[in-house]
Amino acid sequence: MRFVLLVLALLATPLAAQSVRDRLEGRVPAEAIPAVDSLVQVAAQENLPTEPLVQKALEGGAKQVVALRVVAAVQVSLTQLRDARDLLVRAGDLPPVTPGEVTTVAWALRRGLPAVVVGRIVGALPRPPRAAAVHAVADLVAHRFDPDSGADLIIDAIHQGLHEARLLDVSTAAIQELQRGRSHAEALALVRQELPNVPAAPKPTRAAVVRARRPPGQQPP
Amino acid sequence: MDVRGDPSDPEVVARVLGGDAEAFGLVIRRHEAGLVRFATRMLGSRDAAVDAVAESFMRAYRHLASCRDPARLRTWLYRIVANRCKSHLARRPIADVPLDDAPPVADPADSEGALERAEQVAIVERALAQLSPEKREAFVLKHVEGLSYQEMAAVTGERIPTLKMRVHRAREALLRVLEDHA
Amino acid sequence: MNPIDSRIHQALDGEIARDALPPALRRTVERLEAAAGLLAAAAPVPGLEARVMAVIRQPAPSRTWRVVRWLATPHTVMVRIRPAWSLALAAVLVLLALFPLGDRGPMLGEHEGIAQFVGRFPGARSVHVVGSFNDWRTGTIALEDRDHDGVWRGVVVLPAGTYEYMFVVDGELWVPDHLAERQVADNFGRENSIVIVRAVRR
Repeated sequence: MRFVLLVLALLATPLAAQSVRDRLEGRVPAEAIPAVDSLVQVAAQENLPTEPLVQKALEGGAKQVVALRVVAAVQVSLTQLRDARDLLVRAGDLPPVTPGEVTTVAWALRRGLPAVVVGRIVGALPRPPRAAAVHAVADLVAHRFDPDSGADLIIDAIHQGLHEARLLDVSTAAIQELQRGRSHAEALALVRQELPNVPAAPKPTRAAVVRARRPPGQQPP
Repeated sequence: MDVRGDPSDPEVVARVLGGDAEAFGLVIRRHEAGLVRFATRMLGSRDAAVDAVAESFMRAYRHLASCRDPARLRTWLYRIVANRCKSHLARRPIADVPLDDAPPVADPADSEGALERAEQVAIVERALAQLSPEKREAFVLKHVEGLSYQEMAAVTGERIPTLKMRVHRAREALLRVLEDHA
Repeated sequence: MNPIDSRIHQALDGEIARDALPPALRRTVERLEAAAGLLAAAAPVPGLEARVMAVIRQPAPSRTWRVVRWLATPHTVMVRIRPAWSLALAAVLVLLALFPLGDRGPMLGEHEGIAQFVGRFPGARSVHVVGSFNDWRTGTIALEDRDHDGVWRGVVVLPAGTYEYMFVVDGELWVPDHLAERQVADNFGRENSIVIVRAVRR
């Protein structure tokens, strides 16, 4: 049985690499493909998610960026994924770290969250998923809330039983208080008082759902 | 209980639902001015606005149990009034909003500042009346009633980017009118 | 209508500090706020409370009584129609009941939500949204400007999750979504917008 698995693994690697090249062919400058492919393989060997790298290359191709810049952007993305993985491990996640979490933390760092704040959020949520929590704090930071104070609010919300998308409602509530003219400190205090009963985001209207279309190629579940 | 010692909206709602109908008077007193102001800007007529808000309060009383978040009672009331204004405007044949509530003519004994203010109010009201109902509603909710985009989304059922678009266009239209009259 | 500097909108929406604006833009912000302030006067409304409370204090008729009253109250209904037309109408109703027309929209899976995109591009011939949800393929998700007022909209079914995207105007101009609540550097010197799609059925 182990022999069969080994053979399958050996076969899967070039097949996976081929599928990456297939996705890039004709969409990314040809001279960039070998380098991007190489970076994707490096990511795979380090147990890092590879899809963000493929997406970055496709994005560069779509934006008609020259090959050198595509490769540079993919390289930067790989570095960001490594930094995210290292942060998760330092915060207590045991390797191999979940690819989805690495992607999430990389997003948080790209959106300007200090690493120490991301570490606090990860520590407050011992198990994935953490995407909503990190985006919630990043939303607050984008509106010039102090990162640590923003993290404090979201961590409080977590301790009061809110999780996943409801954490985004917490940051939204604080931002709305800011837009109503409160100071940052007042906004945080007011929302903290309301926890856990911050208003939920309105669901899409029926009219919106009726108008919705699937992107071409997406199969219904 | 808020800082002044008055019962909070959730407390008042709980009392009304518990059978104390008189407590609803506090809801009316607390919110009538802002709601009438909003409805006046939407309908262009204070009389029509008062009627719309009175009907809205009656409806709110009858359906108070359906207010899922009494802490957001104000937003819920704005939603009822906004819907009533929309129904009223839909029955009207022309989109123009009549200005039968022009600001009162200033007493000649008033200072020049008061006269100028009255003229400015008229200019702004005319600019507002020229907007579509959706943009007018968005601008008034945002800049006159002071709602956040999140609250506006709860009032109107629209997404925040859509509301931002409407507010932005309303600002641009208003600014153009102000510059023309500068 | 000429758009104004977007920093004015950002300042009025609390997204940037007013102190960061040049003096001319700050004056425009103050002007708009002053204009809105003129509309904010709220005169007392004598008699409104009494009027509403008078109705509330009346004993409510029972539901049975309300139904009986509606049934007993004459309502004018006048229809003049040829028998042939009434038969045709009945046939159409039966067909509609058996074969409903109209788009009810997609059935959303348990982990799917919708993303709504809107942007103002007056004079544009086409606007597409391109992002990580469609492998950055241009030309596949088109927005529509049904009212021909320059405002382009689209609603897309997507698996719940986080996506980066931009608008592409007239097939060539890449533009971030200025109304999006979240942005991130794209590593190409520009900014992508971020949309977080929540599952609708939770």
